[in-house]
Amino acid sequence: MGQYLPILAMLVLALIFAGVSRLVSQLLAPRRPSVPKAAPYECGIIPSHEPPERFPVKFFLVAMIFIIFDIEIIFLFPFATVFRELGGFGIGAIVIFSAAVFESFVYLISKGALDWGPVKRLQRSDIVSPGRTSASTVRRVGLEGREPAAAGEAA
Amino acid sequence: MILSLLAQVGTEAPTPISAAPDAAAHVPGPSIYWPALLPLLVILVGGLLLLTFSSFLRKAAPRGIFATATVVIAAAAGLSALPLWAQVQGWSSLLWWDLHPDPVGPYTTVGGMVGVDGFTVFVTIVLCVAVAIAALLTDAYLRREQMEGPEFYVLMLLSAAGGIIMAMGNDLIVVFIGLETLSIAVYVLAGMHLRRVQSQESGIKYFVLGAFSSAFFLYGIALVYGATGSTNLVDIKDFMAQVVPTQNGLLLIGLALLVVGFGFKVAAVPFHAWSPDVYDGAPTPAVAWMASGVKAAAFAAMVRVLVLTFSNYGGTWKPIVYALAILSMVVGAVLAIVQSNVKRMLAYSSISHAGFILMAVEASSSQGNSAVLFYLTTYVFMVAGSFGIATIVGRRGDGRHSLADYKGLARTNPELAVAFTLLLLAQAGVPFTSGFFAKFYAVEAAVDAHSTPLAVIAMLSAVVSAFLYLRIIVAMFMAGGDDAAEGPVPSRADRIPLPVGATIALAVCVVATIGFGLFPDLLVSAAEKGQPALVQYERPAAASAPTAASTDGVPDVTGTGAGQ
Repeated sequence: MGQYLPILAMLVLALIFAGVSRLVSQLLAPRRPSVPKAAPYECGIIPSHEPPERFPVKFFLVAMIFIIFDIEIIFLFPFATVFRELGGFGIGAIVIFSAAVFESFVYLISKGALDWGPVKRLQRSDIVSPGRTSASTVRRVGLEGREPAAAGEAA
Repeated sequence: MILSLLAQVGTEAPTPISAAPDAAAHVPGPSIYWPALLPLLVILVGGLLLLTFSSFLRKAAPRGIFATATVVIAAAAGLSALPLWAQVQGWSSLLWWDLHPDPVGPYTTVGGMVGVDGFTVFVTIVLCVAVAIAALLTDAYLRREQMEGPEFYVLMLLSAAGGIIMAMGNDLIVVFIGLETLSIAVYVLAGMHLRRVQSQESGIKYFVLGAFSSAFFLYGIALVYGATGSTNLVDIKDFMAQVVPTQNGLLLIGLALLVVGFGFKVAAVPFHAWSPDVYDGAPTPAVAWMASGVKAAAFAAMVRVLVLTFSNYGGTWKPIVYALAILSMVVGAVLAIVQSNVKRMLAYSSISHAGFILMAVEASSSQGNSAVLFYLTTYVFMVAGSFGIATIVGRRGDGRHSLADYKGLARTNPELAVAFTLLLLAQAGVPFTSGFFAKFYAVEAAVDAHSTPLAVIAMLSAVVSAFLYLRIIVAMFMAGGDDAAEGPVPSRADRIPLPVGATIALAVCVVATIGFGLFPDLLVSAAEKGQPALVQYERPAAASAPTAASTDGVPDVTGTGAGQ
């Protein structure tokens, strides 16, 4: 069983690390609680009213594109180092893989992942003002909780 | 983390090349017998093409085009599996088509990664049928819920491709890839209904628990690999045939973790907690696929791994499966009765069905295997049809699934009520329906394997669950009548519209359920021929590479028609 000793050592180390981290943060961290910090989903700003139910978070689509190419790169890099040894079979496999990955990119574009600017496809709704653009949305969220909201932008 | 990984790869990689420039050993690719992969390729490429096609579509898609395309793809995949069936059975011709059977009987290809045998081909066809039925149910559902788009169908096709990979996997890693492809698509399907909170909840629940069980499964693979030195099912079996397994703790734990992984996917009882919640919340057509296709694929892989590979380790896994079967049948039947939501009832009843199939798996005989196939086939029609009716009765919002919503269905939609009655009676195992023979063969296999107590418990639990099905039938036919307390009497005016696609699917399900009940021989003979087999990979003579990459350290036993 000697070969499993490293696993045991790893386990013990992990436990020690977790325990020590917890203890140290208990001992060293300064404690100055305030209302904004204690609020759920705290970000340092006191929420004044509920946000609209759903608003477009376009960045998740950018994140999706990032993930797609990330995954492709993860496979392409190791492949590039051994593509001589793998020969035609490897190239065939990686081409099929890239085509499948590219397919998801095509799909994302068709879903409007790269269409920035005013929201086009959303249905009109009472909670979102029709004149809203990405610029006004960003400004409004940024000002929330710091000073009274501008008159024309009440939801 | 990824960057550091890449950096490592980048820095380490040049060394071997610079050490041996151009003289690097050429790694031979596995020889692939492409026709064996045809059903998988058809369904996979079909799904991707469907997505691409819809991406380039500028206008709204014509009504029902995606559902039709999905049915066509599934049918093509199913048909392309038929020559494989003929090949595996060693037929020289299929109807009028003269075949030239190259490898006759079960065989292995893609470097020993993929096994093609009667069982695989049978399950492939069952999965194609399940996808087609679910797609027909989905069509009107998406229109009703204003969720039109190709995604639902594409996910279903990809998940079916995962199921086929799982069924044909001859290597634990391939089985795992299939399991993940199958599951990830289904996680998304469960959370597909954006406007229902329950759907989101079921998606996240299924994902968290499913990922957890995948981790168990993967850990099991790792331990089995540690104990036997291979992930290839044939090599594992060979290893255990040579080494007397007395006290191999690693292998035992690995096997137990594999059983946990399978138990979760088929929703056997200690691992069933997700299934009622997920079935309740997920879009109903997705549940029809989940309950039929996912379960069929999981059982196919289970039979390959447990019954075939660990056949001489039966003393270890059989008692576990025995206990799982008893718990699933009893708990599924009893808890189904106390539900008031029809989707939850059907979820518990599908747990109970899983118990019956586990009983056939536990028999671990050729009879048990064909009982599994028979049960899975009939079960696909029964359960997909039942959830199809739940889809229609759920109405807009997919929220009306309580038993009260089925009251007086016989007055508003007599044809739906009759179809549901037939499907429920079949699930209860009433004679002249396919469900009777399914239960009969499973019990028979258990008795022949000397598991009589299991068979007795199975029959008792069938009686208990019959009460549940009768409860729904009573609600449909006998409630909503003269009692003023029960609210207004529903009439033909409250009729629920029947969409075309769903009607076709329901008709197929009912006809198959009754047809296999009246003429079970059609299916029995096929199920008996659909035996699984593990075949040692035979490296083709043409590409006789000196260094066999995939069969390191394994005695070169060629062409043993091993298996049962």
